[in-house]
Amino acid sequence: MDTVIAPRDERTQPIRIVPGYPQTPWRNPGEPLVKRAPTLSELTGPLEVAKRVQLLGGDIAGRGEKQAIGQLMHLRLHVVDEDGSPVGGTVVEIWQANAAGRYIHPNDDDHAPVDANFYGAARLATDETGLLELRTVKPGAYPVPTKDGWWRPPHIHFSIFGRVWLSRLVTQMYFPGEPLNGQDRILNAVPDAAARERLGARLVPPTGDPHNALVYEHQIVVRGRKATPAQP
Amino acid sequence: MMIPTGEATIGPFFPPRYVDAGANDLTRLDDRKAEGEVIEIAGVVRQEDGEPLCNLVVEIWQADAKGIYRHPADPRHREADPRFLGWGRAATGKEGRYAFRTLRPGAPQGRARHVNFMLMFSGLMRILKTAMYFPGEQANDADPVLAAVPAARRALLIAREEAPGRYRFDLKLRGTHETPFFDD
Repeated sequence: MDTVIAPRDERTQPIRIVPGYPQTPWRNPGEPLVKRAPTLSELTGPLEVAKRVQLLGGDIAGRGEKQAIGQLMHLRLHVVDEDGSPVGGTVVEIWQANAAGRYIHPNDDDHAPVDANFYGAARLATDETGLLELRTVKPGAYPVPTKDGWWRPPHIHFSIFGRVWLSRLVTQMYFPGEPLNGQDRILNAVPDAAARERLGARLVPPTGDPHNALVYEHQIVVRGRKATPAQP
Repeated sequence: MMIPTGEATIGPFFPPRYVDAGANDLTRLDDRKAEGEVIEIAGVVRQEDGEPLCNLVVEIWQADAKGIYRHPADPRHREADPRFLGWGRAATGKEGRYAFRTLRPGAPQGRARHVNFMLMFSGLMRILKTAMYFPGEQANDADPVLAAVPAARRALLIAREEAPGRYRFDLKLRGTHETPFFDD
């Protein structure tokens, strides 16, 4: 099936130079981006990434029998395209801080403690309905080293491949009702309020299944819709 | 119609284990060697003040040696090399350097031979997309994507052949000699 990629509404995507985010003026292009009509190179893309990089399990809320510290959560992530059709079999990379707001990464020298039972990374493929499920703990907030009062609200990072090169997406998911959401410089870099709202997960009313974790649902829309077949 | 989700920076904490050992070697698949001429593509990525950037993720996507993409949208995909995936990932080291081992791509339908690049980094609010071309190719003059780039900046997308089969492709995110990036 051929994919059509149309330009996005700029207001639904982040501005590139973000006030108060000191790295952005050094790294985002200053020249106008070059418009091109997509060719086969951009309308194809890697569908078998898992042959090059290894899939990792969907339960990162502990190591073996040892449970990570924090609020257990179960995430149901749906990946769809612009038609709303499920994107099955696509690789999704997920990473997050622990419940105290600390990443396992040489770049994170924050004061918050490491949790020996939490690494915070999963790499999964969606099933044929575009769904993947992750068991984890809710990430904590953390201060950004700008030292001017910017704290990142709890969030989870996603890297998604989709069906073609231009559907590749890196994004972050937020939690509803977090007081830090309103001042976060990355979330608020997206100008459109409804687009920001869609970056938030939905807390599903507890039903007792699973009984020991809060359930969140989130939908991610990757670029691309089906080409309408030419009329004879 | 659904509206595509907003992008965000990859941030400084992309897990190191996500740059799997061997992810930057496209010449093999399932331990079998792909067909074609092995080449190396390497370069340094810098920001506006010239500082090399460490921990930046580079991904490439390219056609096989016959110019075929491993994807059903390519009308010739059934003839694609079964031992060639066409995708790889690298991260820059302390000196801002990335490297790939791959095959010299054939020319895909309607294009000059090229390698598609994607850059992801802390402080980059959206993925940056560009393409690397090969020096001395007559087909470059007719490539529709290269033609979309202002003439004065086209040379920035053409790699330098440092030795036979060894290509250097430096990337500058902003400022003097800024790499042309595409908006799709």
